[in-house]
Parts: sequence; structure tokens; C-alpha cells
Amino acid sequence: MVVLSQSNFNNRFKGRYLLDNTAMKLINLKKSIGKKQIIKGLEFEIKSGEVFGFLGPNGAGKTTTIRMMVGLMRITEGDVVIQGKSIKHHYKEAIREVGAIVENPEMYPFMTGLQNLNHFARMIPGISKERVQEVISLVGLEKAIKQKVNKYSLGMRQRLGIAQALLHKPSVLILDEPTNGLDPAGIREIRQYIRRLATEENVAVIISSHLLSEIELMCDRIAVIKNGELVAIQSVSPIADDIEELVCRVQLEAKPANKAISIMKEEFGMDGDFDRGLIHFHCQRELIPNVIQSFVKNDISIYRVEVSKATLEDKFFDLIGENTIG
Amino acid sequence: MVNFWQLTQNELKKIYIQKATWVMYILLIVILFGAALITITSDFITRDYNEDTWREELQEENNKLTKEMQEEAIFQEYNTGLIEQNNYYLEHDIMPPGYGAWQYVHENIILVSLISLFTIIVAAGIVANEFKWGTIKLLLIRPSSRVKILLSKYVAVILFALLTLLFLIAFSWLIGALFFGVDGLNPHMVMEKNNGLAYVSIIKEVLVGYGFKMVNLIMMATFAFMISSIFRSSALAIGIAVFLMLAGNSIVMFFAEHSWAKFILFANTDLSQYVNGNEPFMEGMSLTFSIIILLIYYAFFAISSWIVFVKRDVAGS
Ligand SMILES: Nc1ncnc2c1ncn2[C@@H]1O[C@H](COP(=O)(O)OP(=O)(O)O)[C@@H](O)[C@H]1O
Ligand SMILES: [Mg+2]
Repeated sequence: MVVLSQSNFNNRFKGRYLLDNTAMKLINLKKSIGKKQIIKGLEFEIKSGEVFGFLGPNGAGKTTTIRMMVGLMRITEGDVVIQGKSIKHHYKEAIREVGAIVENPEMYPFMTGLQNLNHFARMIPGISKERVQEVISLVGLEKAIKQKVNKYSLGMRQRLGIAQALLHKPSVLILDEPTNGLDPAGIREIRQYIRRLATEENVAVIISSHLLSEIELMCDRIAVIKNGELVAIQSVSPIADDIEELVCRVQLEAKPANKAISIMKEEFGMDGDFDRGLIHFHCQRELIPNVIQSFVKNDISIYRVEVSKATLEDKFFDLIGENTIG
Repeated sequence: MVNFWQLTQNELKKIYIQKATWVMYILLIVILFGAALITITSDFITRDYNEDTWREELQEENNKLTKEMQEEAIFQEYNTGLIEQNNYYLEHDIMPPGYGAWQYVHENIILVSLISLFTIIVAAGIVANEFKWGTIKLLLIRPSSRVKILLSKYVAVILFALLTLLFLIAFSWLIGALFFGVDGLNPHMVMEKNNGLAYVSIIKEVLVGYGFKMVNLIMMATFAFMISSIFRSSALAIGIAVFLMLAGNSIVMFFAEHSWAKFILFANTDLSQYVNGNEPFMEGMSLTFSIIILLIYYAFFAISSWIVFVKRDVAGS
């Protein structure tokens, strides 16, 4: 599932030549509730114009992290810096840069879509009537905008939620599980707005999800978290220079296999699985020759080596365990 | 800086867009019509006096009242009051006013309790409902401090109370005018005041009467608002506040023997105990005393709402 699209390429290009384009930065972010530590020191950066996936199984701490990013929850330790401003110390300046949906796209059910948007528009200075119309057409809600929100489908509420988040032209857009409950067509639609925002308006977009398959097509990079800890950050689209860091999936026919597996473990710290006559393992591309050399030195006969690019899905399986991706 | 008025306007819009609010107003209208119908069908209270024969009419009324209270002991106190009033008109040779719009407004002071109930319901929901709907998250991720958002909600509650009170007065007057006619621009009547009976302006009495009732209304609304923002549950806030509003006097009476009973909120919410020749509820109480006690309770309600709302995490829904 590796995608190389024109827009991805543009982002990377822009990303490389702009000086400091960090839109949001998490610094050793921690959250404890009671005695329980829920977020255990997250640290990563999101660039302007990048679509950043925030992936993890249910209960991993995605929503909690997002709540801290937008100041709904107090930060126990560390900080979130948005366009250079700390959410802890310069809340108003930092939050001005952010548009968000947290958990569910909840709106006032007894008001129309338009009344809801006007309500939130009034909370931020300088949002014109034209801007409200603009976001309505951006998410394609013109027809339903005069209907009460309690008549909306989940997909329409997601779109209204995005419209609300975009009213003040934020430079950071945070969407918590925006694909929840959407059908593939709805997901495709959201993917299109999000890509457009990132490429055309240079917005940093953060999308959380527990389903890799639903966000991998729209993200440039994906951070994987589990139990409140960052387990990996991975680029989705490999371009030339990324290949070096890429993890490969290797299948190897070697004898004796058990000796080969123990050498891998001792010398490289890799876990190999033996299945139907083949040793399976993941390793970085540049390490493959070293592994084979040490097999040869140890008198292991190698009959066959097959290397394929590890897909994100493989990696996610490895990191999280199987039953968590849908 | 977001204009504070914009936030308050948002809150007012949300109050008035909800059907429950309109039900309150419709109920009020129905009650005002109903009460007027009952008043107009009960005979002599509403009659207008004749310029030439009002003295004889009053005398006749007195006879009737005396006879009534001889037959039925329960009318004793009420009827004596009416007879004294009639005698005041006769002695001072003032023609008594008819029953008009302003008298009707004056009688409806009792409906302020209903408005207190409505205000409690609104105050109880205004913070808690945002949590229930999940919209609190969207409300708080804006460049306004939480204090400002909380304050805008509180101000909206108070404005709701004032608007509903104005509505009550205006609509009472309209219905009163419709049913009983308008009795001059500034009608006067005889009422019990500090130094016995006096001939006073009804409009002034209306304003003073509604004013005294506002004290209890604002205290209970602020209390419900506090429960709403601390416990984030409107049912709990309505329950406790309505219970206290109804049971307040009984609570005070229950503890009346203890000298500390004067520190109970409800011993102090009725400031009219210090005027019109009334006796304060307990020894050692004065207007200043009550105002200080009220301010202390008020500050406690306001500060607790504020601290909890500003400090606490907005966690899972
Ligand atoms: N208010 C809370 N009190 C205690 N624990 C909480 C609270 N909110 C979330 N948690 C716990 O924190 C963890 C992360 O939850 P959450 O951030 O909602 O995960 P995700 O959004 O990734 O599904 C879960 O184990 C959850 O039980
Ligand atoms: Mg979540």
C-alpha cells in the first residue's frame, strides 16, 4: 500500500526547502490521571503542509493527547508548542492557530448547520459571512445547511465538524477519528479536502485513527502509539532517499535454520520466525548484506533470499499485534 | 479579545432557540389568562366604584365582610384588613381606585416564584448541557478564556431572568388592561406600610415587590448555576435548587430555636421582612446583616463555579 502521488511529492519538496516549518511540536508530553500514567512522554513534530497520521488501537491515548494539544486537559509534564507558542503559557495565541474536532463531531442538535457555524464564527473575531459560506461549500453542505443538525447523518456531521474547524483558517487542523462511521465514499471525500488543505493552504493536518487502512492513503507520515508511548514514526510514501531507512521483509531459506535464527538474535537482535521451511524477519535494507555475511562465516548454507518492501500494515502488525487493525 | 457581548449573545440565542424555553413562556401566558378569568368572575373585588355613591358602596361592602367573617372564622384576618382599608378611604375621603391593569400586575408578584423555577432550569442546564451534548469541547477551544465563557453564560442566565420578569410585568399589564381596564397612569391604593395604612402609588409597590423577589431568584439561580458547573448534571442542579427553594422556609423554621439559624441563606433572602412594619425573622437581624450574609453566600457560589470550571479537565464524555 505505498502511494506516491503528486501531492505527496509537492509536500516533501516544500518541506525540504522551507527553513523552519514546524507547525506543532510535542515535547516529552505526559498525562497522569490519578496514579495512572496515560501518556508517557510523547515527542514528535508536525510540519506545515503535512498530513500526519496518529495511529493506535482503542485506548492507546490518541484522544487524551489531542485533548492536551487543544488545552481541554491539563498537561502533567512536557508541553505542546503550536507555531512557536506554548499551549500552556500562551493559550490564546496558540489556540488561534488550531481548528479541531475532538472525539465526535458534536454540534447543537436543535440548531441548523448554519446556526451552528454562525455560533462558532461569533466566538472568533474577524470571520465574515462570506467565510462561513466558503467553508460550507468547501465541505459540500450547501443543501443541508438550513436543516437541523439532529437530522444529519454521521457523515454530514463530520463535514459540519470540519467546516467548523476551518472557519478561522487555522494553520493546524486536528481531526480525531474523522473516518469513524463513514463509508468508503465518505472517507474518500474527506481525504480529498484534507489533501487540498495541506497542499494548497499549507495547513498541518493531524488525523487520528485506529484503522490503518482508513488513513494510510491520506497521510504523509504516520506515528504509531500504543499504551501512551510512541512506537514508531513512518513515512508513507518512500521517495529515493527514504529507501535506506525502509524496513524490508526478508524470507530466507537456510540450513540449519535454528542456528541461523540464533545468530540473528545474538548478533543483530532480530527475531526470526520459522514457517514452512523459510525464515521470516524484518530488517533495515542496509543490514541485509551484514546478516548474510555472518551466516556465511558461520557455515550456514543459504539457498534462497527474497526481499520485499515491508508495507506499513506489516509493520503495524508487528508493533501493535494483529487484532487491532480492521 | 472576543467581544464579551458576542459570547453572551450566543448563550442567549441558545436559550431562546430551544423549545423548552417557549413552553415556559406559553405556560406563563396561560396562567395569566386563567388568573384573569378567575378574577373577573369572582364578584366584588373587581368592581369599579361610582363617583357619586362610592361611600355607600364601601359601607355596604364592610357590612358584607363583617357578616362573612362572623359566619366563617377563617375570613377573620383577611376581611379585617379589607375593612380597615375601606375605612381609610372613608376617613380620608378618597375615592377608592377600581381594579385595573396595575392592580393585576401587583397581584402577580407571586408568579416571580414561577420565574425563579424557570431561571433555575435554565441555569442548571447552561453549563451541564454543553457537557451532555459534547459541545463543551468546541466551545472551549476558542481564543477566549474559560472564565469569560463561564461569565457569559452566567450573564445570559441573569438576562433571561430579567427579560422573563419584564415579560411577566408587561403581559400582566396587557391582560389586566384587557380584562379590567386601565385605571389612570399612576393609580394609588391604600396599603399596609411602615406606619400603618397609607395611600401609595401601585407602580412603586410593583417595582419594590418584584425587586424583593429578585433577591431570592438570583440567589437560587446562582446556586443552580454552581451545581451545574461543578457536577455537570442539570437534573441534579434542578433537583437540589428546587427542593431548597420549596423547603427553604421550613428549613429555617425547623432550626428557628437555634441562634445560628439566622445565618441560613433562606432566613435572609426575604428582605421585605425589614419594611412595611414587619418583624425580622430573628433577633439580631437587620437589613445590613442580611445583605452581608447574602453577599457571602453569593461569593461562595460564584467562586466555586469559577474555580471548578476553569481548573478541571474536560475529559471523556
Ligand atoms: N478521564 C479519564 N480517567 C481515567 N482514565 C482515562 C480517562 N480518559 C481516558 N482514560 C484512559 O486513558 C487511555 C487512553 O484513552 P484515549 O485517549 O481515549 O484513547 P484513544 O483515543 O486512543 O482510544 C484509556 O486507557 C482510557 O481508559
Ligand atoms: Mg479516541
